[in-house]
Amino acid sequence: MSKVILRVEDLRSFFFTRKGVVKAVDGVSFYVCEGETFGLVGESACGKTVTALSILRLLPEPAGQIVGGKIFLDGTNLLELSKEEMRKYRGRMISMILQDPMTSLNPVYTVGDQIAESVRLHQGLQGEKVDEEVISALRLLKIPSPEMIMRNYPFQLSGGMRQRVVGAIAMSCHPRLLIADEPTTALDATIQAQYLTLFKDVQKQTNVAIIFITHDFGVVGNMCQRVGVMYAGKIVETATTREIFKTPKHPYTSALMDSVPRLDQKGDRLYSIKGQPPSLRDLPPGCRFFPRCPVAEDICRQKEPAEVEISEGHFVSCWKVK
Amino acid sequence: MATTKVIDWDKVGGGIKRKSIFLEITFILPVAVLFLLVIMAIFAPLLAPYPYDQISMQDRLLPPFFMDGGTTAHLLGTDNIGRDILSRVIYGAQISLSISLIVIAITASIGTVLGILAGYLGGRTDAFLMRVTDISLSFPAILIAILMAVTIGPGYWTVVLAISMLGWAPYARLIRGEALKLRESDFVAQARIIGASPVRIMFRHIFPNVLNPLIVMVTLSVGFVILTEAALSYLGAGIPPPAASWGNMVNDGRTFIDTAWWMSLFPGIVIGLVVLAGNFLGDWLRDKMDPRLRQL
Repeated sequence: MSKVILRVEDLRSFFFTRKGVVKAVDGVSFYVCEGETFGLVGESACGKTVTALSILRLLPEPAGQIVGGKIFLDGTNLLELSKEEMRKYRGRMISMILQDPMTSLNPVYTVGDQIAESVRLHQGLQGEKVDEEVISALRLLKIPSPEMIMRNYPFQLSGGMRQRVVGAIAMSCHPRLLIADEPTTALDATIQAQYLTLFKDVQKQTNVAIIFITHDFGVVGNMCQRVGVMYAGKIVETATTREIFKTPKHPYTSALMDSVPRLDQKGDRLYSIKGQPPSLRDLPPGCRFFPRCPVAEDICRQKEPAEVEISEGHFVSCWKVK
Repeated sequence: MATTKVIDWDKVGGGIKRKSIFLEITFILPVAVLFLLVIMAIFAPLLAPYPYDQISMQDRLLPPFFMDGGTTAHLLGTDNIGRDILSRVIYGAQISLSISLIVIAITASIGTVLGILAGYLGGRTDAFLMRVTDISLSFPAILIAILMAVTIGPGYWTVVLAISMLGWAPYARLIRGEALKLRESDFVAQARIIGASPVRIMFRHIFPNVLNPLIVMVTLSVGFVILTEAALSYLGAGIPPPAASWGNMVNDGRTFIDTAWWMSLFPGIVIGLVVLAGNFLGDWLRDKMDPRLRQL
């Protein structure tokens, strides 16, 4: 197994609001290896993005705060760095791709300027050397005629092309870890497939570790080697993609799998999980999933299940799994 | 046989061919007007037929040359103490234009900096700066100006200071709103992700995106500053006589408006010209600043 580049241990990120404490991320642990893609899956508001922002230490302060845990990037605990040191890590060591390519570029600068900003900030290059880096970043993302595209403004490019540019910005300083927060949600199906293939290619060339946040199991199957399934601020199951698809252990994971429409099975209605995810402000005692769980028992109501390793690399938090 | 039509590509799409900036009327006209007025201000002693303060009681209240009783010696007539209106309009450009320029430079800078700080940093900084802005907005500028005129004496710099002291508040309010909106935008998040510092984000990412409303505000301020200066002059807290500013000329003419309308009309026309030129230029600049329109 290759080297572990990121290890998150028992991360807790809360939002302190007037109405109470929102436990957006409540004890999340996982790791990502070099050259590996780790999928973070779950429904909306389960804490995927907050986990990502916590790793970058970009929670909207003062409301959002990391209250506990450790985040090791290549051996350094990011939570112990000063603000300035952390700023140097962003872009250079960790980068992130946002969801909507239409709004994540600054409308007043050319594409080249925006990539150059990151290059100048972290590599201390000047003049023509900056242009070279910009062009090589655009090439990495397979953008045609980069010398021309770099002089374009964002509005002149299509959504798919913009998202590649965002990718080029993220990869311009050769980060060790890339967080992709649903980067294909705003793209249509064909462009999405292209983009995913492109990213696999980028990863092969650079050996970057990727955390891929999505709610689409199709994308997970395509992209990720391992997956963590999040529910209400916790990772309830972690395993290789193959195992998650073949033998999902947590009732929530199986329920999610059953909610995916399939071409090879005729059925009546698509399965959906009953009820709503719990409010993160007011979590139920015991297992977070028990109010919606089809196999819940008394103990689920009373005590939170601990994480157990049921086979190598396959972790589940559920009382029913032995 | 079908006739082949030669397509004139310059005319396709409504003839939106990129024109040279010097061919655009909305650019050339206001620039020409402002340029002429600035030249007029700089070379006032050479251009003006009389000194601005030369009194001649036998020539008082002469109408402009094209009216009965008018003379070509005083092209735009004279005021109630026989001073040449044309000369005073020319000299007035010095004071009125420079005051506008200085006041706008001061107020726009202060307002923009405070607005971006308040909007981007938020929290207590925002609360504090906005309360100061509220206080500034609630004070009548005229009152402050009179107070200052009384304490440090009326004069050019008193007027500049008096208008600037409260004039930054509307800028701060406007820019703060824009910055607040931009702070939440994805491209600012993107800048944070690549490790840009807050100062850098404010300067490089927020500032260029607030330029459009800023420019509109600046062009609108030209008229406001000239008129405020006029009001102050009227109250005796402005530019003291005998110096000529367009504002105090309009006000001097007020009492004679039914008999000697030219006293107010001509300085009024130049004020109108400057304000209009400013607005046109502002529109043009705003279009140019927008990369979407720039490419057409």
